[in-house]
Amino acid sequence: MTIATADTPRSTPNAGSLMQADAKTAKRNAREKRFRLYGLIAVCTGILMLVLLMISILTAGLSAFRQTTIEISVPLDAERLDPEGNRNPVEMASVTTFGYAPLLRDGLMQTIEAAGIETDLPEGDIADLISDESVAQLRATVLANPELVGQTVPVEVLASGRIDGFFKGRVTYETAELDSNISPEQLRLAEALEEAGLLRTGFNWRFITAPDASSTRPEAAGLGVAILGSFYMMLVVLVLSLPIGVAASIYLEEFAPQNRFTDLIEVNISNLAAVPSIVFGILGLAIFINFAGLPQSAPIVGGLVLTLMTLPTIIIATRAALKAVPPSIRDAALGIGASKMQAVFHHVLPLAMPGILTGTIIGLAQALGETAPLLLIGMVAFVREYPDAPWDGGLFDPATALPVQVYNFTQRSDPAFVERASGAIIVLLIFLLIMNLAAIFLRRKFERRW
Amino acid sequence: MNDMRFVERTVGNEEVKIAARGVHVYYGDTHAIKDVNIDIADKMVTAFIGPSGCGKSTFLRCINRMNDTIPIARIEGDIMIDGEDIYDRRVDPVQLRAKVGMVFQKPNPFPKSIYDNVAYGPKIHGLARNKAELDEIVETSLRRAALWDEVKDRLQAPGTGLSGGQQQRLCIARAVATSPEVLLMDEPCSALDPIATDQVENLIHELRERYSVVIVTHSMSQASRVSQRTAYFHLGEMVEYGETGDIFTNPRDQRTENYITGRIG
Repeated sequence: MTIATADTPRSTPNAGSLMQADAKTAKRNAREKRFRLYGLIAVCTGILMLVLLMISILTAGLSAFRQTTIEISVPLDAERLDPEGNRNPVEMASVTTFGYAPLLRDGLMQTIEAAGIETDLPEGDIADLISDESVAQLRATVLANPELVGQTVPVEVLASGRIDGFFKGRVTYETAELDSNISPEQLRLAEALEEAGLLRTGFNWRFITAPDASSTRPEAAGLGVAILGSFYMMLVVLVLSLPIGVAASIYLEEFAPQNRFTDLIEVNISNLAAVPSIVFGILGLAIFINFAGLPQSAPIVGGLVLTLMTLPTIIIATRAALKAVPPSIRDAALGIGASKMQAVFHHVLPLAMPGILTGTIIGLAQALGETAPLLLIGMVAFVREYPDAPWDGGLFDPATALPVQVYNFTQRSDPAFVERASGAIIVLLIFLLIMNLAAIFLRRKFERRW
Repeated sequence: MNDMRFVERTVGNEEVKIAARGVHVYYGDTHAIKDVNIDIADKMVTAFIGPSGCGKSTFLRCINRMNDTIPIARIEGDIMIDGEDIYDRRVDPVQLRAKVGMVFQKPNPFPKSIYDNVAYGPKIHGLARNKAELDEIVETSLRRAALWDEVKDRLQAPGTGLSGGQQQRLCIARAVATSPEVLLMDEPCSALDPIATDQVENLIHELRERYSVVIVTHSMSQASRVSQRTAYFHLGEMVEYGETGDIFTNPRDQRTENYITGRIG
């Protein structure tokens, strides 16, 4: 304590007027203001980056959800498609796409003629307007409806990637000059078809449902197999990691004795959460494929690997949720003679439920977006066949996954795949958004309001 | 302390319910309870008083083995209830705690309905064969806790929505619902206002007819109001134990006198 004396007037530091901030207060206020400003700048930068990311993905990817198609009247020549004449789809299947290609080409020429469009392009160039995929499309339609044979039926076929790109603004007359795959004359013909009402752009359901297509047919590439594969994997992850993770956390948090061994486990679980995901891929390759002999590219293996990856996240979240339950609740239950297990399952677990569910869903969302480990277990393969239903062994059928499909699309040279990759990212983001909304919903629903 | 009214000391029952012999408690290296010997009588309210950290709550938690939940706690000596050593290897603490109910310092109702709060104990111990019996147990327990009239119309309302005093009485109802023989109360009124405290104290009076009640309290006036016998704890030792009137008017030990006259604690 300093002793105030007559010649030290500063000994009463708070004597000044309250109407005027003294130097120290002003400095302190300025410091606080600066700190708030820094925080605001940081938040704004974050939001700006997010907005930029969304804009870049949406501008590049939204067009993937629209697809240009051409309506062609195809004369389905009975002699070529059904030589036996009994409309048996099994026998008709012996006619390959090579048998259908000339019909489609004839149909296209006749359709253009019937619409009164003049063109001096050779027939081969005109046929390039439609996708190579459309022959297979036509064959599938005919085999599904054999009664169509012999008639001239209108068929909606995919326009080729470049034509599709032209109507989405990706291809222009200038770029067509330099492009060996497309010429300005073909674009003009496409415009004429559009004016005749034969070419149109609509919502692209095939992008969501169809399987992947070869790298020369970006217009036909879809996410069907990838979405199914991802869904199957999430099923495996949920079924395995939720019970194992929650059981492990309850044991560690509520029952395990506190000793060096449990400390070691605890440290290792935290460390596992930080292990690079590709390491789990190597582990999966070594154990599930090489040792256990499970098939490559199968959702079951992907699901098992992602389970290993998700478990630490779920365990950490669950333990945090259990720890957050006030100990007075445990005391109350134990105090009236509940056993440890009754106290946990009747009182602690219900209160921890929102936290557990949120942790689980966030773990699942993390697993949904994971790519690296899947590359190692063969899920990067080109898969055109849908896997069977899970109860028919579909978990063991080859499939891909959404993030891997994005990676796959970006590896291909055709610029149309940029649009497809961004579109796939949008689909992935929508799934993540749905899962996060589910997490919020479940948290609200289970939260005790009393 | 002249205006203090002491509880009528009609000590007709001298049957010993709880007997502690040479009890020591260690928390790791801390020696929390040092050689406590005490005989607690049945159908009587026994108060433990003493300054903070003197070990009275610790000793209380030994009586229903709640200290078992603390991994570092170690207990030596014998505590007998009705002549049976509760720390015997054969004793299951879960069974013991059904016999020795406990009310905690902070009201801690389950985040469930009032009915479920009271019915939980009877349910897990299988005390009711059907819904009607359970309803009856809930009603009697709530009546014993002097809460029935206030909550009978809203048994399905959440227990945590009650006022502090009501919550504590709900906890008492929950504790008596399992038909215990001993009721331990760890500063049951420290979080309550004077009116709620009065209600709980009146309740303790009535509970005494059926149970052996042990209450830990910071408030000496409360000890003098509700208890027949008082034990004074100091730094882990039980310094003095006797009739409440004697302890407050004529303490034998200097430390007890210092405490009750307000010189320490």
